[in-house]
Amino acid sequence: MTLRLGRHEFADDATLMMAIVNRTPDSFYDRGATWAEDKAFERVALVAAQGAEMVDIGGIKAAPGVEISEAEEKARVIDFVARVRESFPDLVISVDTWRASVGAAACAAGADVLNDAWGGADPELVDAAAAGGAAIVCTHTGGVTPRTRPYRIEYDDVVAAAIADTVAYAERAIAAGVPRESVVIDPAHDFGKNTFHSLEVTRRLGEMVATGYPVLVSLSNKDFVGETLDRPVGERLVGTLAATSVCALAGARIYRVHEVVETRQTVDMVWSIAGRRPPRRAIRGLQ
Amino acid sequence: MTRVVLVPGALALLREYAGLEDPVAELRAACLGAVGWLGTDVTVLADRQGERVAAYLLAATERGGAEASYLVVGNGSAMRTERAPGHLDERSSAFDEALGASLRAGRPEVDAELARELWASVDGIAQLRRSGELGPATVDYDDAPFGVQYWVMRWQA
Repeated sequence: MTLRLGRHEFADDATLMMAIVNRTPDSFYDRGATWAEDKAFERVALVAAQGAEMVDIGGIKAAPGVEISEAEEKARVIDFVARVRESFPDLVISVDTWRASVGAAACAAGADVLNDAWGGADPELVDAAAAGGAAIVCTHTGGVTPRTRPYRIEYDDVVAAAIADTVAYAERAIAAGVPRESVVIDPAHDFGKNTFHSLEVTRRLGEMVATGYPVLVSLSNKDFVGETLDRPVGERLVGTLAATSVCALAGARIYRVHEVVETRQTVDMVWSIAGRRPPRRAIRGLQ
Repeated sequence: MTRVVLVPGALALLREYAGLEDPVAELRAACLGAVGWLGTDVTVLADRQGERVAAYLLAATERGGAEASYLVVGNGSAMRTERAPGHLDERSSAFDEALGASLRAGRPEVDAELARELWASVDGIAQLRRSGELGPATVDYDDAPFGVQYWVMRWQA
């Protein structure tokens, strides 16, 4: 089925790079490098030039910290979305928010996707997506409160839980009026999960793909990579790309990333190994 | 009247080996143009791999006319450069020059033993030789982009 993300459509075998653009002073990886609006805009221009199909603009870091009001989140995100929309009409703009009011304003400013990393914490977010003509990303968090870390969360079967929750969320979005082809699911590595959970979700990602909903994975430099390899933030690219390979082989469609170029090469390579993408240019032995 | 076309047996022409970018776009265009000039019923002169190339080109073209038509699949040496499939053999240039000249003149002359040593695919060309003099060729393509000598030629006899 064609994937429709707001103004944009993609074939059912297309893979998409969703580049992270933080309008935050304190996100774990970039530590405020794109906090200033012009720096964030430069990052958008960079990732667009690198071939990213999407940007994911967020105004609040995922980890606990100073509470950011709706007004402050809007101030960080909405005008910026409008500026990106005007300058990069071909780019899919996703906004990373769990708040319906922020989502609605983002859609009005030109957002194509609402990426709800917190699993439907605000039940009205689906209505904002439907009314705004946006796609929605339905994540699994195990029901945790936004901006909290997992603490002794356990599952009988983490993958079954992820499928049940994301599909239920997807069905709620469709019932609210979001078109079926605009609903994406995301197991949400590290969110409501310890490292063992995130590894299992990675290992069994094919079960999520089998639901028929396009799957987004957000693996980039996360703690499950760091803990698995005992690497600090800044030394997790190799582990991230290894996890990316496994998810690509399983058929994940959207990759939320810090490193666009490396991830694109990894996904293209695996997609070709899987027989879903021809090589770029093949002549060896065929002359 | 008889129409005859020579194309190389490059497997890169086949659909099953298509990449996102076509490394033989110019050669393919020449092949399709020449094969499209043949009549409806075409006799193929080729080795087994060449038959697959011929089948692809015939399926990819719409042809008309009742002229007797032959599609010959063959090419020169595969040792023209150090990066060629068979690496560089100094004899390959002279071999290709002589074979090319004989083809242009419509009197193909093949040294089968040297052809084997230089990885030239000449089975179809050798069969063509038996069909008599063709007259001068129209040359649509003459190059060795990957160290393999390709020709696309047409004859009307």
